[in-house]
Amino acid sequence: MKHDCDCIIVGAGVAGAMTALVAQRHGLHVIVVDDNATPGGQVYRQPSPYARAHVPADAERREGDHLRDKLRTSGIEIRSGHSVWSVTAGFRVELCHDEAMASLSAPVLVGATGATERFHPFEGWTDPAVTGLAAASILLRAGGILPGQRTVVAGSGPLLFSVAHQIMELGGEVAAIVDTASTAQWARMGATLVLDAARMGQGLAWMREIRRRKIPIHHRACVRSVTRRGSVVDVTIRSLAGNGRDVTIAADAVACGYGLRPSTDLSRLLHARHDYDGAAGYWQCAADPYGRSSIDGFYVSGDGAGIRGASVARLRGILSGHAIAHDMGRIDSTTFADLCRPVLSRLRRLDVVSRQMVRLMNPGGIVLANTEADTPVCRCERVSRATIEQAIDDGAHEINQVKSWTRCGMGPCQGRMCEDSVRQLLAHRTHQGPDVVGHYTTRMPLRPLPVQAVTGTYTYADIPLPKAAPL
Amino acid sequence: MSVRTSSTHRYDAVIIGSGVMGATTALMLGRAGLKTALVDRRSIFREASGVNAGTLTLHMIRAGLIPHAMRGREMWLNAREWLGRDVGATATPGLSLAFTPAECELVEQRATVRREMGAPIEVISGARAREIEPGANPDVLAAAYCPLDGFIPTYVVGQAYARALAQAGVDVLEDCPVSDVTPCDGGGYDIVTGGRAGMVHGTRVVFAGGVWLQRMLAWLGLNVRIRCLINQLVVTERMPPVMNNVISIANGLLSLKQFQNGTVLIGGGWQGEGNIDEGGTRVIPENLQGNVRLARHTIPRLDQSRIVRVWLGLESETDDAMPIIGSIPTYDNAFVIGCVHSGFTSGPYMGALLARHILGEDVDLAAFDIGRFTAMASPVSQEEK
Repeated sequence: MKHDCDCIIVGAGVAGAMTALVAQRHGLHVIVVDDNATPGGQVYRQPSPYARAHVPADAERREGDHLRDKLRTSGIEIRSGHSVWSVTAGFRVELCHDEAMASLSAPVLVGATGATERFHPFEGWTDPAVTGLAAASILLRAGGILPGQRTVVAGSGPLLFSVAHQIMELGGEVAAIVDTASTAQWARMGATLVLDAARMGQGLAWMREIRRRKIPIHHRACVRSVTRRGSVVDVTIRSLAGNGRDVTIAADAVACGYGLRPSTDLSRLLHARHDYDGAAGYWQCAADPYGRSSIDGFYVSGDGAGIRGASVARLRGILSGHAIAHDMGRIDSTTFADLCRPVLSRLRRLDVVSRQMVRLMNPGGIVLANTEADTPVCRCERVSRATIEQAIDDGAHEINQVKSWTRCGMGPCQGRMCEDSVRQLLAHRTHQGPDVVGHYTTRMPLRPLPVQAVTGTYTYADIPLPKAAPL
Repeated sequence: MSVRTSSTHRYDAVIIGSGVMGATTALMLGRAGLKTALVDRRSIFREASGVNAGTLTLHMIRAGLIPHAMRGREMWLNAREWLGRDVGATATPGLSLAFTPAECELVEQRATVRREMGAPIEVISGARAREIEPGANPDVLAAAYCPLDGFIPTYVVGQAYARALAQAGVDVLEDCPVSDVTPCDGGGYDIVTGGRAGMVHGTRVVFAGGVWLQRMLAWLGLNVRIRCLINQLVVTERMPPVMNNVISIANGLLSLKQFQNGTVLIGGGWQGEGNIDEGGTRVIPENLQGNVRLARHTIPRLDQSRIVRVWLGLESETDDAMPIIGSIPTYDNAFVIGCVHSGFTSGPYMGALLARHILGEDVDLAAFDIGRFTAMASPVSQEEK
C-alpha cells in the first residue's frame, strides 16, 4: 500500500496535538485529522468571538491558544472539519468533509479521540430543558451561552463545579448542584489533590464562589425526574443514601452528565483489545503508558486509553510521539528512555489524582434506582427499560443480543448514549459482571454518513455492477 | 439464561447451530416430544439468520427453490400461528427493475424461469412499474412484478424463537462451541463442547452450522466444500416514506425495502472481506459506494438520507449453489441442513421439512441430498481434521 504519510493522528485535542508535535520533531511526516473547525479538542476548544468577548480568559483558554499557535508554526498538516467514518487495518482512514469523501493511509495510526459524556436516563430526560453536563460546558466556555436562566447542575465528577462556576461567571443562576458522590468521597479527593496544586487551587476558588452564593449542594443524590410545567420544569432530586425525602425545585434548564468515558470508536472498529475498568465503570482500549495498543502500529493517546484529564493527556501525547519515533526506528532505545523518564515520573504523580477523579465520576448502578418500567433507556429508538428487561428474560445475556432484539443502540447516536445503562440493566438482571455482558459492536460509519457524500456525482454506467446472480 | 441443561446431558436429538434452519428443526423435534438440545458457539440467531436483509422474495431466490420459498414466506406471515408470536413480517409486492435494454432481456429471462417454477411473476412496462412504485427512478424501462414478496426485520426473530424453544422444552446451550462430534459404539454421537454444557450425547445429531458446515462435516470425515459469501448490508436512519415495495434490479444485486420504522435497508450481496477461521470481517469502502449508488439510482429520494450502519452477514454456498438437507450417508441418525440460497425466506419450511424427515415421515429431499458431494470425495485424513 502506498502511504500518504508516516503517521495519521485522529483528533487535534491536546493528546493528538502533542503526539503530532513530538513525532514531527523526530522527523516523521504526520497528518492530523479532526472533525472540529479548529484544533483544541474539548478542553482547549477555540472560543467563538462572542465567548472571547464575554467569558473571562482562564488558564485553559491561554493554553489552548498557545497550543494552536504551536501547531500553526509547526507547519503540520491539520485537516480540520474532517470526520473519520471508517478505519481499516493497514491503516486506511476514510474521511468525510463537506459531503465529500477522502481517504488517507499510513503505517501508523494514533487514536486521540478523547472522551464521550456518560448519560443515564431518568423520567423526563428527553425534555429539551435537559442537556449534558459536558455539553453545557462547551456551550458556556466556547459559545458564551447559558443553558438557561436558572439551571440545575447535576451528575457526577468535577465538571459539576466547573459548570456551576461557568454559569455564575456568565451571570446565570445555579438552582442547585446535585452530585452522586458523598462529601466523604470529596474529602478523599481533596487529600489526593495536594499532588496537583493547580487543580487544587482552581477547585477551591470554585467552591468559595458556590458557598458565597449559598447554592444548595445535594450530595449522594441524583435527578429523579424532570416534569415540564409551561416554560419551566420541576426537577425532583432524590437522595441515594436511602433516608432523604425527594425535593422538587423549579428551573428552566438541567445540565446532567455522569462523568466521561473513553471514546473507543476507532479502537473497537479495529478490534483492538479492550479492558473493562470496574472502578471507572467503562471499557477502555488496552494500551501501555506510551499508547501502544494490542494492534501493531495503532496507538491510543489521551483519554481514549482511560479518562485522566487534560494534563495527563498532554503527557501521554508526548510519550506517544516519542514511542512512535522509537518504534519506527528514528531514535534508539537509550534516547527514547532518556526522553521519556521525566515525563513518566510526572505522569505517575498526576495519575494518582486522575484515578481518584475517575472513581468519583462513576455513579455506579444508578440506572436501576432511577428509572421506571416505561422510562426510555434508548432515546433514539424509544426503547423502554421494560422492553429491555423482557428481552433479557427471554434469554438475551449479551449486550448485542439485547440490541438486536430491542433496537436499543440502533439509532442515530449509534448506541453512545444508552450503552452504559443497558450494560447495567443486563449485568444486574443476569447476575453477570459488566465485563461479561460485553459492549456494543462498533460498525462503520462511525457517524451517520450522508448518502450524497457516499455516492457523489455519478451515472448508472459508473456503478461497477458485479455479474448477475445465478438463476 | 444461556445454558439450560439437564443432569444427564443425554438427548434424543442435538442440533448444532442455532440459526433459522437449526432452530426450526429443534423446535419441531422438541414439540414432537424428542428431548432436544440446540447448541451454539455464541447466542441464537446472531449470525446470518439475525443479520440478513430479511427479504421475502421470489425474484432473487434460485429458481429451483421457489416452491419452498413460497411456503417459507407463508410461514413467516403466519408466525403467530406456529411460532407463537408475530415477527413483523410484511407482505408487499416486489419489483425487479431494468434500466438498460440488456437488463430488460435479463428481467424477461429470469421471470420466465421463475414462472415455470410456480412464481406468479409477470413483466410490466416502466410506466406501470412507476405506478406501482412512484418512488422509483423514471429511467426504469421495464420490471418484473411479483405480488408475493415482503420483508421481515430479522433482528427480532431470535427473541420469538427463544420463547418458543423454551416453551417446547428445548435446551438452548449458548456459548458452547462444539469442537468435535464422534459416533459412539452403542449408537448415537458424543458432542464435545467448550462451554458449560461440556460433553453431550445425542441419539441423533443435526449439523446446521451455516458457513461452518464444512468444518462440522469434517468431524465425520466428510469433505464437502462450502463457500462463504460475505454479504454487505447498509441501513439508513429513519426517513419519511420513500418506497412501498421490495425493490431489486434485473441482475439481482440489489435489495431495497423501507421498514415500518422508516429505515431503509440496502442489500443485494455486495461483498466484504473476511475469514471465518480468524473471525472478523471488513467492509470494502468501494463496495459500500457501489451498493449505495445503485440504491440511490433506483430510489432517487434516498439522497436525502444518512447511512447509520453497515455490516456483513455470512452466507454459505455449495459448489452447485443448491442446499444440502437430509440424512448423511453411511452414518445413522446424522443429518445436515444448510446452504439454502436466500435461506431466510424458506428457512422455517426447510427446518420443518427436515424435522419431519427425522421423525420418519416420507418427505422429498432428493434434490438436496448431500450424497451428490460425498460420493466422489475421499474422506478427510486425521491430520486434515
